[in-house]
Amino acid sequence: MFRFDPYSPANDADPFPAYKTLRDEHPAFWCEEAGMWVYSRYADIVTALNDWQTYSSAKGNLVDELPNRAGNTLGTTDPPRHDRLRALIQKAVTKRALDYLEDPIRAVCRKHLDALKGRKTFDFVNDFSSKVTVDLLFHLFAMPTDKQEIVRDKAVLMVQTDPVTRKKGPEHLAAYEWMANFAAELVAERKKNPGDDLLSNFITSEIDGEKLADKEVQLTVTTLIMAGIESLSGFMSVMGLNLADHPEARRALVADPSLIPDAMEESLRYNTSAQRFRRCLTRDVEIHGKVMKAGDFVMLAYGAGNRDERQFPNPDVYDITRKPRGHLGFGGGVHACLGTAIARMACKIAFEEFLQAFPDFTRTQQDLPWVPSSNFRSPLKLELAVG
Amino acid sequence: MPTVTYIEHDGTEHRVELPAGWTLMQGATLNGINGIEGECGGSCGCATCHVYVDEAYLDKLPAPSETEEEMLECTASPRRANSRLSCQIKAMPEIDGIVVHLPETQS
Ligand code: HEM
Ligand code: FES
Repeated sequence: MFRFDPYSPANDADPFPAYKTLRDEHPAFWCEEAGMWVYSRYADIVTALNDWQTYSSAKGNLVDELPNRAGNTLGTTDPPRHDRLRALIQKAVTKRALDYLEDPIRAVCRKHLDALKGRKTFDFVNDFSSKVTVDLLFHLFAMPTDKQEIVRDKAVLMVQTDPVTRKKGPEHLAAYEWMANFAAELVAERKKNPGDDLLSNFITSEIDGEKLADKEVQLTVTTLIMAGIESLSGFMSVMGLNLADHPEARRALVADPSLIPDAMEESLRYNTSAQRFRRCLTRDVEIHGKVMKAGDFVMLAYGAGNRDERQFPNPDVYDITRKPRGHLGFGGGVHACLGTAIARMACKIAFEEFLQAFPDFTRTQQDLPWVPSSNFRSPLKLELAVG
Repeated sequence: MPTVTYIEHDGTEHRVELPAGWTLMQGATLNGINGIEGECGGSCGCATCHVYVDEAYLDKLPAPSETEEEMLECTASPRRANSRLSCQIKAMPEIDGIVVHLPETQS
């Protein structure tokens, strides 16, 4: 009998064969391991994303939700509350509002690349993508730089799940708690001394003349740090992997760096780091001959929808000329990623700089260690040999 | 299924059928119609899905939300009285046959 186990190390490494079986044979699949339904076809996922009234995020959007998060953050509230919270931040993260970040991001990339000069091998994840991401997020949120390393470690840990117990382990929960406390201190401090950074603006905001609840502010800040750091560095690492594994694509980008955004969009489709999120049904839904009950959770496997040949021809081919509009790499609908413009800008600059410094590289590990997570997929380490 | 007609800036017309509840932005990106980008994934955060709605259908649409109003200030082509963000318009039987004109540029 077919099983789909989002907790197994085999799934962390390669979920794509199971996704195909899900799409072709079990488009509405009851996953015992996670205790929820799974959507894997592009059209079903889009239908769910278009209908937040039926597919609610208010009971949490992580496949394994963290304590107290449901109902209190951008990703875990429904409209109209969600839209009001989001409107407070949205304007500050549009493409045009982010121009001022271009020079600092480039400087950060060069700093970390300079440190690698002359090296024959290095780890793309720990020596480049996470360093760049953490520097960028600390700059964006004007956070104290002496905490960079620990914040990064906790952000990476809090999104993981234990492959054996199939739950968040004590170390993951402790990391989350640490981050929530870090956010609480940050919020308290910004309330006293607000700056003109994105966090200060959010923290001092009001909705309909009413101050945001402390818990809401604290947990949204926690989410911003988690989403910013983990999602961005995870994705950058995946894109680095794609360019190591597809030398013809890499050579095309080296010859013409203006193709980098196209390679990024194709990577968001081909193997986005944000593989699976969940929703909760507010009413009974009948689909593909199955009856799902109000209160049931549904996993939206974005990574599976992105490989659906009903939508994308030759889905298993990495093709940087594809320009896959409508991909699910950032989710979609009201809860689509808030950080799309930041992420696009950061990746564009990071790969412009990286490919200029290291136009030629191969990966040295046969098998990669993958983040153990029911939500996210990215390598923990990506050893590259250059030249 | 409701039908939607997209008219590109150069006059090229596309008529597509959309499942009810899908957005006009999705109708364009999923059918390979150029002239609508949809960078933010439909979260009303980028204004690269700007369209000019044919006057005959304008009144049939729900009024724009506050966020859409704000984002309409950020369009790359001029905002007009019939400007809307197509990710905020859902294909429904009531607007079957709707015609939208695509602006010269989205970014
Ligand atoms: C390439 C990197 C990134 C990827 C692949 C990614 C992916 C995603 C996805 C798939 C969602 C939807 C979750 C759902 O459906 O429930 C999401 C939501 C979100 N992301 Fe990202 N993300 C990235 C970078 C960022 C960055 C840099 C930030 C912040 C600075 C960020 C902040 C958020 C927030 C706040 C939400 C919740 C939005 C809402 O519910 O309204 N993300 N992201
Ligand atoms: S797709 Fe971004 S505002 Fe419509």
